[in-house]
Amino acid sequence: MLSLANVDSFYGRSHVLHGVSMDAPTGEIVAVMGRNGVGKTTLLKTIMGLTDAATGAIRLDDAELEKRPTFERARAGIAYVPQGREIIPDFTVEENILMGGYARAGGPKIPEIALKLFPYLAENMSRSGGLLSGGQQQQLAIARALAAEPKVLLLDEPTEGIQPNIVEQIEETIRILNRDLGLTIVLVEQNVEFARAAAHRFVIIEKGRVIASGPVADLSDELIHRHMAV
Amino acid sequence: MIDTIFIGLSLASILLLVALGLSITYGALGVINMAHGEMVMIGAYVTVLAHIYLGVNLFFAIPLAFVVAAALGWLIERLVVRRLYGRLLDTLLATWGVAILIQQAVRLDLGLTFFGVNLAGLGPGLQNVQVPAVLQGSVSLLGVNLNVYRLFIILVTLIATVATWYLMYRTSIGTQVRAIMRNPKMAAACGINVKRVNALTFAYGSGLAGIAGVMMSGFKTVFPEMGTPYVVDGFLVVVAGGVGSLVGLIASSGLLGQINGVFAALTNDILARAVMFGTVILIIILRPQGLFSFRGR
Repeated sequence: MLSLANVDSFYGRSHVLHGVSMDAPTGEIVAVMGRNGVGKTTLLKTIMGLTDAATGAIRLDDAELEKRPTFERARAGIAYVPQGREIIPDFTVEENILMGGYARAGGPKIPEIALKLFPYLAENMSRSGGLLSGGQQQQLAIARALAAEPKVLLLDEPTEGIQPNIVEQIEETIRILNRDLGLTIVLVEQNVEFARAAAHRFVIIEKGRVIASGPVADLSDELIHRHMAV
Repeated sequence: MIDTIFIGLSLASILLLVALGLSITYGALGVINMAHGEMVMIGAYVTVLAHIYLGVNLFFAIPLAFVVAAALGWLIERLVVRRLYGRLLDTLLATWGVAILIQQAVRLDLGLTFFGVNLAGLGPGLQNVQVPAVLQGSVSLLGVNLNVYRLFIILVTLIATVATWYLMYRTSIGTQVRAIMRNPKMAAACGINVKRVNALTFAYGSGLAGIAGVMMSGFKTVFPEMGTPYVVDGFLVVVAGGVGSLVGLIASSGLLGQINGVFAALTNDILARAVMFGTVILIIILRPQGLFSFRGR
């Protein structure tokens, strides 16, 4: 289980997250929701140790992560698929995937499951990452995360800016990774329908604070209207 | 004509050897290392001291200088540079300070001058290095006399360049360096120990400068301030070639070396340097990202 207790996070002098506590039980999908700019991306970056400073407790199973540098958190089993994907344009597909493997215990290796899930990548291993379409880059970013053989996957708006026919594929992939591989997933998602269909639990953030959370059954229209409608 | 090109090629080799290390520290770490010239100087002094105290010649000084300069570079990264990543101008000032410190340490016999002790081979004076007999004289090729020591410099540069290419593009540590170069945060999130890789990268770049120093000691006088001009030359090559591009580095050092060689043969050394600087200014105006650059898109 990944759990955060009373976490504050900062960029320079700006205080972004205030006393955030949340749990992602092993094998479950937690949807992190809220309007733009409330701190959802910062939450994932804080878990990864990529903000300038943070206080509070972050634990993965028995490991205390809050004091550890980013690469050790990755090696402890947390993989990160950032918003905007951040694949490396002049690395090949293969190099991009292998890059994720530095967090794997035995060193970089192409994960079988990624090739099965994303046949396009398997057929274009020597293509430059920058030449792929948005959807293919998203698949590549997920494949890179899987190369770490992680316990927890942090996904930041994986369907944002992607053509509709690929959106369904990505959503199906998320389900498969959770159901078949038992991956714990923290998913930042704007799409309420998908969050309701796929997630076990939800967290709603507003102005850097968790203002609602619980099993996904409690995610009422009223909550959504109040905290997500623009 | 051939001998002019040959001299240009050997000048280019020296530029490349100095710029290789600088390019790695600047390209991969975003650090302007003003102490790079001092690493060259340290390499030259290692050659002098190895001859005096160990009785070994220039060939043995090459690996020794690499190790000594790399160790010193590692220490500088640990103590100073590590705290300054992302602050380009601060790295410039801080490493400049380190450069002065290293120069004075050599000039003052590591401080022993204050106690009236003087070590042979150190101090403010000039030192000379005896080049091994096999590297002296010249060989005749296609009717042209080629200086053996210049040939040796070209060979060493070739080996250093191929080794660097292999390290950067064919090994795990090189892949990590290139990943950090492009996206340090994502590299860390992928499990790459950025601090450790950066320290090794800095040490390697310094080690290459140490080798350049050994080569320099064979045909130039060795003295505490000798490294300073090389930082300027090195940065000219790096900026003209394109940051982080090995091909660009080879192209720009080749170009600048030839320009220097050809114009020195036609006119004189001073004018040749002016033409070289002019070329670099022109390149920067026309292609601010350098001749080759992965960022230049």
